[in-house]
Amino acid sequence: MNTWLVPLPVVIPLVAAGLTLALGGRSRLQGIISAIAITLVVLASGALMYLAHHDGPQVVNVGEWSAPVGISLIADRLSALMLLISAIVLLCVLLYSLAQGLADGNEGAPVAIYHPTYLVLAAGVANAFLTGDLFNLYVGFEILLGASFVLLTLGGTGERIRAGSIYVVVSLLSSVLFLIAIGLVYAATGTLNMAQLAERLGNIDPGMALVLQVMLLLGFLIKAAVFPLSAWLPDSYPTAPAPVTAVFAGLLTKVGVYAILRTQTLMFPEGRLDDVLLVASIVTMLVGIVGAVAQDDLKRLLSFTLVSHIGYMIFGVALANKAGLAAAIFYVAHHITVQTALFLVSGLIERRGGTTSLENLGSLARLAPALGVLFFIPAMNLAGIPPMSGFLGKVGLLQAGAELGTPLAYVGVAAGLLTSLLTLYAIVKAWNKAFWQEAPEPLPETSIPRSMFGPAAALAAVGLAFAVVGGPLSTYTASAATDLQSRTPYVSAVLTNGDRGDGTSDEAADDPTQDPSETESATDDATDGGDDG
Amino acid sequence: MLQLLLAHIAAALVAPALMRLMGRRGFLVLAAAPAATAIWALVQTPAVLAGDGPMVSLDWMPAIGMNLDFRLDVLSWFMTVIVGGVGTFVLFYCSWYFATGAKYLGRFAAVFVGFAGAMLGLVTTDNTLVLYVFWELTTVFSYLLVGHYFDRKGARRAAMQAIIVTTFGGLAMLGGIVILGQIDGGSYSLRELVANPIDSSGPLLPVALICLLVGALSKSALVPFHFWLPGAMAAPTPVSAYLHAAAMVKAGVYLVARLAPGYAEVPAWRYTVLVSAGVTMILGGYRALRQHDLKLVLAFGTVSQLGFLILLVGQPDQGVALAGLALVGAHAMFKAALFLTVGVVDAATGTRDLRELSGLHRTLRWAFIPALLATASMVGIPPAAGYVGKEAVLASLRTDDVASTVTLVIVVVGSILTFAYGARFLWGAFGSKKGVEDRPVDREAAGLFVSPNVLAVLGVLAGVFPLMGETLLLPYAETYPTGEPGHLALWAGWGLPVLLTILIIGAGTGLFLVRERVERLQGRAPKLPDMDQVYRSMMRRLDRVAVVITSRTQRGSLPLYLAVILTVMVISATTAMAVGGVTVASWRWWDTPAQAVVGVVVVIGAVLTARARRRLKSAILAGITGYGVVMLFAIHGAPDLALTQALVETVFIVIFVLVLRRLPAYYSNRPLAADRWWRIVLAVAVALTVMALALVAPGYRVDEPIWVLFPEEAYVFGYGKNVVNVTLVDIRAWDTMGEISVLLAAATGVASLIFLRTRSGSVLRARDADRSSVWAEDVPDPLAPLRAAGGAPSGGRGRQWLSGGETLAPQRRSVILEVTTRLVFHTMLLYSLFLLFSGHNAPGGGFAAGIVAGVGLVIRYLAGGRFELGEAAPVLPGALLGTGLFLSAGGGAIPLLFGGTMLQSVVIEFSAGIFGDIKIVSTLLFDIGVFLVVVGLVLDVLRTLGAEVDRQGEAAGTSAPEIAFDSPRDTPNDIRPAAEVGASRSEGGSS
Repeated sequence: MNTWLVPLPVVIPLVAAGLTLALGGRSRLQGIISAIAITLVVLASGALMYLAHHDGPQVVNVGEWSAPVGISLIADRLSALMLLISAIVLLCVLLYSLAQGLADGNEGAPVAIYHPTYLVLAAGVANAFLTGDLFNLYVGFEILLGASFVLLTLGGTGERIRAGSIYVVVSLLSSVLFLIAIGLVYAATGTLNMAQLAERLGNIDPGMALVLQVMLLLGFLIKAAVFPLSAWLPDSYPTAPAPVTAVFAGLLTKVGVYAILRTQTLMFPEGRLDDVLLVASIVTMLVGIVGAVAQDDLKRLLSFTLVSHIGYMIFGVALANKAGLAAAIFYVAHHITVQTALFLVSGLIERRGGTTSLENLGSLARLAPALGVLFFIPAMNLAGIPPMSGFLGKVGLLQAGAELGTPLAYVGVAAGLLTSLLTLYAIVKAWNKAFWQEAPEPLPETSIPRSMFGPAAALAAVGLAFAVVGGPLSTYTASAATDLQSRTPYVSAVLTNGDRGDGTSDEAADDPTQDPSETESATDDATDGGDDG
Repeated sequence: MLQLLLAHIAAALVAPALMRLMGRRGFLVLAAAPAATAIWALVQTPAVLAGDGPMVSLDWMPAIGMNLDFRLDVLSWFMTVIVGGVGTFVLFYCSWYFATGAKYLGRFAAVFVGFAGAMLGLVTTDNTLVLYVFWELTTVFSYLLVGHYFDRKGARRAAMQAIIVTTFGGLAMLGGIVILGQIDGGSYSLRELVANPIDSSGPLLPVALICLLVGALSKSALVPFHFWLPGAMAAPTPVSAYLHAAAMVKAGVYLVARLAPGYAEVPAWRYTVLVSAGVTMILGGYRALRQHDLKLVLAFGTVSQLGFLILLVGQPDQGVALAGLALVGAHAMFKAALFLTVGVVDAATGTRDLRELSGLHRTLRWAFIPALLATASMVGIPPAAGYVGKEAVLASLRTDDVASTVTLVIVVVGSILTFAYGARFLWGAFGSKKGVEDRPVDREAAGLFVSPNVLAVLGVLAGVFPLMGETLLLPYAETYPTGEPGHLALWAGWGLPVLLTILIIGAGTGLFLVRERVERLQGRAPKLPDMDQVYRSMMRRLDRVAVVITSRTQRGSLPLYLAVILTVMVISATTAMAVGGVTVASWRWWDTPAQAVVGVVVVIGAVLTARARRRLKSAILAGITGYGVVMLFAIHGAPDLALTQALVETVFIVIFVLVLRRLPAYYSNRPLAADRWWRIVLAVAVALTVMALALVAPGYRVDEPIWVLFPEEAYVFGYGKNVVNVTLVDIRAWDTMGEISVLLAAATGVASLIFLRTRSGSVLRARDADRSSVWAEDVPDPLAPLRAAGGAPSGGRGRQWLSGGETLAPQRRSVILEVTTRLVFHTMLLYSLFLLFSGHNAPGGGFAAGIVAGVGLVIRYLAGGRFELGEAAPVLPGALLGTGLFLSAGGGAIPLLFGGTMLQSVVIEFSAGIFGDIKIVSTLLFDIGVFLVVVGLVLDVLRTLGAEVDRQGEAAGTSAPEIAFDSPRDTPNDIRPAAEVGASRSEGGSS
């Protein structure tokens, strides 16, 4: 068994976060530690993906506490893929921000705080993907939200504080709703282990299960930014520093999508809210993209496309057939990389042009042709231009919609196509203004450090690489979707012994020879020992 | 085939470097790619005609039915020859067309060659999804090429229009492709789709076909999508010749020809083609008669011709289709040749306006000859290829059914218009005009004339040998479902076709002769609805609607966003409860009456908090609900939780007070009264909903809750009697580890906001401070006269109650507080250590212990100011926080090194002489980490919200607070007693 790998994507960043904070002030060392930590996470995630694909879900009962008493961590195909993609994205963004820090002589941001917080964010994202416990999922959300509050307000400008206050308060409200839902779930089922919930939710009254489903979905839908719960996103993301926005846009909403995907398939397989989700996804696509069309700031425009394309993923989840789930997973993987790449590039544009306002930008095709290529490729990818990843994901979704064949599904297909067109429209408008049109005022005479190009280019290239590895990847997502639909791989990997996991705590409890001696004296003595240290 | 595609990709990738190296002669090298394509296709001719052309099949994404299947049948072969051949000649032409030092040639060449590759893929693939891939690629490349002169506004606009219109069609086509793929009996293989046409009675098949046709029509610029093509003439002329005459716009024709054998008889298909193509043919010809820009004459002519071609190949009839295919070839040659001659004229004279050109037939003879030949082919003068094709059309169209008759009429009328604008083009470009001086002509390099001449001559030669065309194209035409196989011939004997040809030539000549009157007439005729205008007003409307919708959904108002979320919550939860039919099973008012009492207090506290107008008041009232929760925990027998919660509440109040010092005393910007009402309604609704949920849920439990397993396993496996502590540091240590990282993040966040861009600095020590400086500002010092000048004698170590006390302003010092602090501080630290180590079996644990230690620090700070805090904890909070997390997470990972599980606990027992047997559970390390993080958090908060805010405040005097979210401006209904400004600060300082 190689289950020792499973907790690493969370533990490594946390240890590194502690280390970098304790080393505050030695920014070079901090950067090296962060880069090593995230690289290790990439490797561990890759290994987990391989294992999950070939040997089935990798499960750890943390501390040998046999599920459902302890917390179990599960890396199945879906979580492992999410882990790997997000780790790669985190690494690219980290390298980008390191390059930015070097270029700016570390004047640009309080680096002493940036690194530990960024690592905590990484741990939170990984935890949300790995956990098999509903409350621990909440903890994962808290970790990444806590870190995101800090990152969003870095520098503390008035604009960021204002945007941050919207983000923080809405996030807290969504956490409270999620917490209420968790309380209700425990009250009605007596467990929070997700594998056990998969079994127990089927036993309780279907009406109550529906209530629980609605309540759980609410929190996730806010986090995923699904209309009408999405308005917070475009107001808060664009103001943060470029690498922060990039990683938020890439990862945080996808954690919400992941949670929806996981809970809906595992815990509520009857899909009684599928039609509601379908409608929500269609409206999200359209309202989001219409918002993008109306923007004249590149970062805001991208934030709106983010909302809109969340609709695509929810559409796939709501279709609930194998093709839909597979396409949704594929699309999530695609969207994480492309959205991050675009925000990184818009950071570069801001550096070169001094602004992201499309009214003030211009002439970039003439002044910075390399930047043009770097923007054009992911932008076209986002618009779903073949043969890049966005197109591959979109085709899968359309096929799934046609396969389901209900009128509502066809409305979704049409909405998806329209969204694609309007995305292209918004992107082309932005390109025409920022790159082709002459700038109204001459742009500042600066250049972009080459080292910042690298990470952005790498992410943009991932979109192209998806086309090359599209075959194996789509096979992988299809198997992941099959796992999600059949549920047994997950449930039986966690509850290996009927109703318990493979931790040893239950065996110890059943074993009559294990009778702990009196421990009263030990505590007193321990106090003395602690004083010495 | 794949090798050829890869060759195009490679050529496109090296193009920028090549062009930099070789200048415009690089085009000659790049021409090798399409030339290789054409030659390869020609070599394959016998095999293709025999029906076993090359095939390649490679799995790409089998999961979505998208595989790299390529096949060279007759139609693909034909298109490949056109695409490769014309591409070669146009690239050849390019190497003389562009000026030596022209800019952006590298990018142009790369995109151009990439386009040629995409076109090759488009016409050879058998997979509809792959077809779409290449289809969209040609669209994007076309966008970049149309926008080549991107500094011109017209070019940018035309490029955008072209990509939006053709992508609109493309996406519709994708929808059609997907439906055809998923429908019963459907397929993603073109061959399958045509060989076994889908036989479906529902609406899906017609919808899918119309979707596909929308794609084809938009790509080939047919009505109502025709308007993008004239705009696209903003591109450099070689682009117009290749993309917008010979290759890309033929993609639509190709798709129609490809599917027509299977679906041309479906009514939806038939009438869409007939109406759109017919109208296009007439409209294009009509509009061409009025253009003055030679390129626009040709562009509208192309629109007309494309309508003509689709009208033919979209019919189910074999003879018509054969004629159509012949015309596809003829059109590629003559239209490319014509565009290239226009390019020559443009280059030589500097204008394309036919009103300014005169005498060119003499001065630009080598452009005139190909133009003459190509025009002859276009208008159908024997023996050119165009004539052969047109004759075959007239011969094959029957007059016995309505559709064919209508087609025939359209063809004849369209041909008359074609003749007229063809003649007008030739006259306009090369004729000598009365009243116009001969246009001076620059000498152009001979190379520029090669391509148009070759293409034009080939166009004539193809007509001279009609049987060759027939042999090559008949195999595909025969796959069409109805009619007789047609023939291509120069002379098919007397009959209706000959009469019609005479009619066309006669009427066309007549129309040309009265061209000026026609122009005037058109100018006066009632304006047809111009699709270009329609498109623009649609896009404008789209932009406007987008702004309206977005301004509705995106108000930027946090209260509104929260209200939306809560409303959705209330509606969806109540709906779910109603639909699910859930009810409350059984309930009671309370377990013990004490609960009720606490409950009432909590409710009152909450209501008062919401009503409070003063910030400090609301903070303290919020504390009441917190302490109420402490009581509830205590009543339920959870002393750990009660202890922790109580400590947390205490620290919270201190933090609130510290923060509120720098905020306005009163909430400002109170909402309007009406707002208050709906807020109350919403709040009550939310409360009732949550209450109902809480009442309902426990009644539905059927399984035994997992907590029953906890006590025994906690003791046997976790070695602890205190279940709560074992749960925190062992059973759910993973949660705790996460939560302390949240604390860490929160602490760093506070630091980042307060210290902003300055590095978080060093520890403040008393020896560095000015004496009597802290908290000195704007508080009266009535006792000053009582103190001796020079202050109290300064004492050394041990002569002060607090070592930082000297730094305080004298009026801020309190002997009682200093003495008490001195006495309790170390006791508190010891107590916290006791809590830390006793936690496993008795109430306590790292969290509570950390807070106790933190409260100790709070007291030191309050008693002695910020330098005293530095004396009490001469470390940076980051070090504590970091070490704490490092210990917890890292310590938890140690078992992994020994083959154990993350956070696995072991018990170490040993005998320690007189201390007896010691038993240490390894989770202690974890708990120490928690302890350090909590202490670090409190220290961090004190350092930032306390010490640093003090410093900033003293530095800024009594200036306005920096961290205020709401505007400090007074609002009319905000009654704010002036005397109380700053009240909160003095409370903060002296409490």
